[in-house]
Amino acid sequence: MRERAVDPETGRSAWKGGREAERPAWGWILQAVTGVLVLILITVHMVANHFIVSRGLRDYRDVIAYLSNPIVMVWELVFLIVVTWHGLLGLRAVLFDFGFSPRTERRITRLLSVVGVAAVAYGMWLTAVIVSRG
Amino acid sequence: MSERATGAGPGLDFRARGERVSPRRRGAWGWVDVRGRRLGQWAFILNRLTGLGLLVYLFLHLGVLSMLAVGPGAWDGFVSTALTPAFLALDVVLIFGLLFHGLNGLRITLVGLGLVVNRQQALFVALMVFGAIALLIAGLRIFAVG
Repeated sequence: MRERAVDPETGRSAWKGGREAERPAWGWILQAVTGVLVLILITVHMVANHFIVSRGLRDYRDVIAYLSNPIVMVWELVFLIVVTWHGLLGLRAVLFDFGFSPRTERRITRLLSVVGVAAVAYGMWLTAVIVSRG
Repeated sequence: MSERATGAGPGLDFRARGERVSPRRRGAWGWVDVRGRRLGQWAFILNRLTGLGLLVYLFLHLGVLSMLAVGPGAWDGFVSTALTPAFLALDVVLIFGLLFHGLNGLRITLVGLGLVVNRQQALFVALMVFGAIALLIAGLRIFAVG
């Protein structure tokens, strides 16, 4: 087995034998950028959907009215895209630390990309359905 | 022994001086092996566990929202279920995960950008104190609902 180490700060694999140097840092940069965006997006999401709402959840009619606001709709969809991206990138980083072959790593990337696109497509469909009830 | 070989980045030396950390790596399950860990490594493990938990929650959450497509009966029925004490307790677990992962991630980002590298233990403690207060307030509000 290849010897491996994990940088606890970045979560990146620090492969011995110079592999770390070959792996670009884009994964970490993207994770940090999407992470900061998620922090902003989720704060508004949690406050608007749960903390200022009586009983902490909107009822059916209230959800439709709320999501029909274009600013809210765009905010929630951007949140969905960014949080899905961040989460799946994180899962990818965890999986990559198991030291799979480059071919398997490419498969993982493709599979997670499909999952991410499907989740966002589902969210857009659901948003369209909900707003159409308004 | 290099910092890299111990699995710790520079500026992350939370351990007491002189404590030995094995340079041997721990195989594929290394990141959940808790032996001989320092605070930064605990933060790393908890960051991953909360991250994986939140990813599972994200997909559960998206699934539950499909009740909105079913109709008012399905959704409003779910809302009643979600207000039971068991669900409210899970909400507190969720808020813990969000706060820990978010605030620890903020620390990692700030340190990764080269900011507050020398004060990162203080930063970590400050963020966690903030998180604990936020969790307490959220928990009180959540159970005030139930």
